[in-house]
Parts: sequence; C-alpha cells; structure tokens
Amino acid sequence: MIKKNQYFLLFIMTAVIALGVLVEVVFRRPYSFHGTVINPPLPVTDFTLQTANNEAFRLSDQKGKIVLLFFGYTSCPDVCPVTLATFKQVYDNLGEDSQKVRFVMITADPDRDTPDKVSEYVARFSPEFIGLSGNRSALEPIWKQLGVFVEKQDSGSAAGYLVSHTSSVYVLDPNGSLLMTFPYGTTEIDMANDLAQLLKQSKQ
Amino acid sequence: MKIIKLLSILVAAVLATSACGGSSGELTIQDAWVRPARAGENGAAYFVITNGTTADDTLLSITSEIASATEVHMSMGDANGVMSMQMQESVTLTARDKVEFKPGGLHVMFVNLTRDLKVGDTIPLVLNFENAGSLTIDVPVKAP
Ligand SMILES: [Cu+2]
Repeated sequence: MIKKNQYFLLFIMTAVIALGVLVEVVFRRPYSFHGTVINPPLPVTDFTLQTANNEAFRLSDQKGKIVLLFFGYTSCPDVCPVTLATFKQVYDNLGEDSQKVRFVMITADPDRDTPDKVSEYVARFSPEFIGLSGNRSALEPIWKQLGVFVEKQDSGSAAGYLVSHTSSVYVLDPNGSLLMTFPYGTTEIDMANDLAQLLKQSKQ
Repeated sequence: MKIIKLLSILVAAVLATSACGGSSGELTIQDAWVRPARAGENGAAYFVITNGTTADDTLLSITSEIASATEVHMSMGDANGVMSMQMQESVTLTARDKVEFKPGGLHVMFVNLTRDLKVGDTIPLVLNFENAGSLTIDVPVKAP
C-alpha cells in the first residue's frame, strides 16, 4: 500500500514539473507579431482632416490611443468593405480594449468623397469608426509620408475613374508614430492579437 | 452492423466529394450573394461558376435591373500592396473546372445602384454565356 502511494506521489510530481516546463515554453516565448513592425517607429507629422459635419479630426488629439489607418474610397465595392468588415471583427474581438483603439478610414478619392460620405460609409460597419476626407493639399502629405500609393485609373467602367490605392492597414502607437503595417488579407484574429499585445506592452 | 454503417457513410462521403468536382455535366452557379449597399453607390456580387461540361465556355456579360451598369471586375494586388480593379471583357470557363468570384478577386460590379440592397432582399441576375445561354439566378443580399 505504502509503495503504491509513493508511486502515485512520484507520478504527480513528475506531472507538475512537466506542466511547468510546458507553460514556460509556451508562454515565455517572445510574442511574434503578424504585422510588419517598423523599427524604430516612424514619427508621423500631425495632421487635421474632416469627419462628419465637417468636424475637425486632429491626429495629436488621439494621443494615448492606438490609431488604425486605412486608405480607400466609397465607390469601391469590393476591397474597401472587406477591410471595414475586418475592422468590425477586430473591434468585437478586442472587447474592452477596443476603447483604446481608433479605427479610421481616410479617403483616397477626395474629389468624390466628402467627409460626410466617408463617415456615413464607415458608420455602417460600426458607429465608432471614423471616416475622414479633406483637401488634396491636406491629404497628399499624409499619403506621401506613410508611403500610400494613390492613383486614378481610367478603366472603361461606367463608374468613371477607379482609384488604385495601397490596401495595407497602418498602426500608429499611442504617441502617434507608425509602428506596424498589416498587409491586405491579414485575418481579424491576427490583427486583434497583435493589437492586444501592443496594448499590453504600452502598459509596461 | 457497425462496419456496414461506417462503410455506407464512407461511400456517401466519397460520392459527395466527387459530385463537388463538377461532373454534373452542366454549367452551374452556386453560393451567390450580394453585399448590402445603398442606392447611388456601387455594389458587388459573388458566386462560384462550375463548368461541368466537357467544353470550354465564356461568360460574356451579366445584366441586372438594379444598377445603371453591371460589369465584371477583377481586384488585384501588386507586390507593394497596391490594389486596383480591372474591368473584364469576358471570363473563360474551362471545361470541368470552376471559377470563383470572391472578395478581393473577381466580382460583379454594380455601378450606381438604383435601389438599396438590404440583408434579406433577393436580386435577380442574368448571366449570359456563349454556350450555356442565359441563366437567371436569384441572389440573396447577405452581410459578409
Ligand atoms: Cu469593381
């Protein structure tokens, strides 16, 4: 009887140690981001654009929040709604943490997209999302600084010109510096995990 | 008894997969859906066309009564992550193969919708093929 109990104890001890090693391996492994990390982060020049009712949106007012920027246009029925639908899933995935993140779409087509139009377009996915437009003179420096390619394209489509645009998502850290980009097609799970990790790091 | 049951399930599964391979001998359109949008905007529809016949076919055009124009577009991304759309004159459907219309790729593009597309609505679409002729499908509006 005594022997049996000792074996059992040995078994329990071995199991506990094995579990400890497993936890160590799984959880202590440094987190590897799915997005492309910009190191060191690139400070972004402050900008002001317009949202619904021509209200001003200034980047520096978002200090303390992570800002997700996406460039698109409202006449785009295919790629842009996909990214906004992903945004919505990321938003839901983050739970309470979503309040520490701003989800922003900036137009790549200021000639057709008014601030109201972009705002209304993104609000369909979530009332928390921010849609921005402005003068070309305000938008072009932002595109240029972040390396966003924007070009009108004559397509032969009845839709008039189409706009080729960079479809990545840009992640600005709570200080307003470019920290990471997500290529088009990054899943909502990968994005949400990366953002949760960034929020965890910024708390330390 | 158990083994017979298991075997019959297996046989059914194999039959089901081979049926998906497009050997039905017809051209079929499946899994169609339209993205919700509002009047005045552009919209998009998606589906899978399976050419189960032994001859190549061509999708020549698509017609609908819900927009000023109905076109076929292809979204494409380059190595730098720049996305653009290109209008397609036609789409080749290889014999015994399928072509998938999906977000970020081939799509039906509705230019200037004449009505709102709300989840739950159904939209008739006519697809005109070189060999298969005109096929009308009812496409549900769905949130992606
Ligand atoms: Cu299109």
